[in-house]
Amino acid sequence: MTALIDARTLAPGTHLQPDLAIIGGGPAGIALALALAGSKLDILLLESGGLNFDPAIQKMYSGAESGVRYAPLDAGRLRQLGGGSNHWGGYCRPMDEIDFEARDWVPHSGWPFSRKALEPYFPRAQALVEAGPWIYDQKGDADNAAEGSVLPLTGGGLYTSWFQFSKMRGDILPTQFGNRYKDDLVRAPNIKPLLHANVTAIRLAPDAKQVTQLDVATLTGKHFTVKPRYTVLACGGIENVRLLLASNDVMKTGIGNQNDLVGRFFADNPIPRDVATLVSFAGPLAPFYGANQTLADGTIMRATFATTARFCRAAKVAGSLSTIEQPVELDETGKAAVITTAIALGVDASNARAYSLGCGMELMPDPERRLTLSGQKDALGLPRLKLDMRIADEDFARFRRTLSELGRQLLASKAGMLKILCNKREDWMTRMDWGHHHLGTTRMSSDPKQGVVDADGLVHGMGNLYIAGSSTFPSYSASNPTLNLLALTLRLGDHLKKVMA
Amino acid sequence: MRRRNLIAGVMAAGAAVMAGLYRFTDLLVMHYPPTPYDDLLVQLVDRGQAARLGAKVTDAAGAASLAAELRSGLKPGTLRKVAEAEVAAGRVAEVDGWVLPKTVALLSALAAKV
Repeated sequence: MTALIDARTLAPGTHLQPDLAIIGGGPAGIALALALAGSKLDILLLESGGLNFDPAIQKMYSGAESGVRYAPLDAGRLRQLGGGSNHWGGYCRPMDEIDFEARDWVPHSGWPFSRKALEPYFPRAQALVEAGPWIYDQKGDADNAAEGSVLPLTGGGLYTSWFQFSKMRGDILPTQFGNRYKDDLVRAPNIKPLLHANVTAIRLAPDAKQVTQLDVATLTGKHFTVKPRYTVLACGGIENVRLLLASNDVMKTGIGNQNDLVGRFFADNPIPRDVATLVSFAGPLAPFYGANQTLADGTIMRATFATTARFCRAAKVAGSLSTIEQPVELDETGKAAVITTAIALGVDASNARAYSLGCGMELMPDPERRLTLSGQKDALGLPRLKLDMRIADEDFARFRRTLSELGRQLLASKAGMLKILCNKREDWMTRMDWGHHHLGTTRMSSDPKQGVVDADGLVHGMGNLYIAGSSTFPSYSASNPTLNLLALTLRLGDHLKKVMA
Repeated sequence: MRRRNLIAGVMAAGAAVMAGLYRFTDLLVMHYPPTPYDDLLVQLVDRGQAARLGAKVTDAAGAASLAAELRSGLKPGTLRKVAEAEVAAGRVAEVDGWVLPKTVALLSALAAKV
C-alpha cells in the first residue's frame, strides 16, 4: 500500500523508474491505473493537481482563442485528481454502431474498429461510472413504463433513446473519480499516485522511437525525472496536444506530429438550447422526457430523441440527441398552427402542451479546427495553447434536417408537432452551449497519415508511448464521451497487459 | 292549452332560436363572406385560426394560384387523408418554423388571402 504522494515533498533530483507512467489523473488515467491494479507492473500515476481545486494550478490551463465563441480553455476542464469528472453532468450513453463507421457524407470519419471491439468493456466502464445496471435502449422503454408512455415515433428517423446517469453515493451525483477512487489507488500495491506533479517534457531517444524520460516539475520549484518503460498520455483532448507539441527537442514538429495532425480535428459536442418547440397533442409528456427519473433500483434515466442509422444514411446527417428542456407557452401563431393542424389530422389537441427542445450535436471532423502552441508560457515555462474554433453552416443545416424529420414524425404519428426556431447561423450561435467534451486532437487511425495513434492507442512511429481518452476519437458521436472513453481505456489496459508482460 | 301542445311549442321555439343562432351568428359556427374558394376553405373548420397561421407564409402565390394547386390534389372532404398521406411521404412545409402537411400550409395561406 502506498499513500497519495505529494510531489512537492520529494527529494530534489529524484529519479523514478516505473514500468508504466500514466500522465493525467482524470477518468481515463484513473481507470487505466485501476485496470492494471494487482498486476506485476509498477505504475506511476502523475497528476498535476491535488485533491482539491487550486486556482494557481488551474491557471496553467489558460490559453488563447480565435474563431467562434467558445469556453475559455481553463473553464471546461479541471486540473486536479479526477479531472473533468469533478464537474461533469453524469450523462452516459454508449456510442452507436454507426458512430464507428466510415460515413461517406462525414469527411474523415471512421474508427479502425467497430463498436464490437468496445462492447466487452462497456460493463466495466458502466461499473466505474456507477450508472447502475445496463438498461439504455434495450430495456429503457419497459423500465420506465410506470412513469408514462413513450411518444409513438415509429417508422421514422428518430426514436426515444435513453441516457443513464452516473451516481456516486447518497446524494453525490455524479461519480467524481478522484474522490471515489483515491482509496482504491492507495490500496493497490503496484500503483504510486503522485499529486502536484506536472510533466513538462516527454524526452525521446535520438531515433525518436522511444520515450526515454519525463521531466516533472512542481509549482514550488522542484524538478525530478521519470524513466518509464512505457508511458500513457491521459491528460484530455487539449492538454495531450500541448505536451506532444511542446516536447519538440527531437521531433521538431512535436511528438507524433510527423504528419501535422496533432491538435487538428479538435471537436466538442455543441449543445444549442431551445432550438425548437415540441407540442404534444395529448397533453403533458411523460416526466422522463423533461427530467431525470429514478427507477426502483436507483438507476437514473432520462429520455432523448436519437437518430436511427437508416435516417442518418438516407438524409446524410450526423448524430444528434434532442432532449426536452422545459414547458413553454405558445404565441398566437403557435396556437393557430396547433388548432389548424390538429383539426386537419382529426386529432383532439384541446389539452396540448408545448416544450422547448435542446440538443447535443455531433460535429463534422474539420482539420482546421485546431490547437496550436502560442507564444505565451505558463508558470513552468510550457507554451500555452491557442484554439481556432470553427463550426460549419453545414453542421447546423444537417441538424435542421433532423429536426424537420422529428416534426414530420410527430405529425405522422398524430402525437404532436414541431416548430424549428433556428434559421440563420446567428440563431444557432446565440443559443449555443458546449458539452466541454474535448475530442479528436490525437485521432486514431490505422493509417499514420490519417491518425496520430493506431487502433491500440500507440502513437504512430513510437514504441512505448500510448494515448488514452477522447482525444483519440476520430469521429465523435453525439453521445457523451465519458462512458465510451472509459471502455476504450479499459481496452488499452488489456493491450498493455499483453505487450508489457 | 294542453300540456302536450305547450311542450311542442317550446321545442319548436327552441329549434327556431337555434337555427337562427346557427344561420345568423358565429356562436355555433363561424360564417364567412362567400369567396371563389369556398370549396377548399370549407375544409378548414376554423378559418380564422388558419388565416392567422397563413399570414406567416412569406412566399405564398396569389389566391387563384394557391387554389389551383390545392384543387389538383384536394377533393371535398379529403383533407385528413391528404394530410396523412403527405406526412407519410415527407411532403411537409414550414410556416413560421412550424412543420406542417403541405396542404395545410397552402390552405392556411389561401385563408389568409381572402
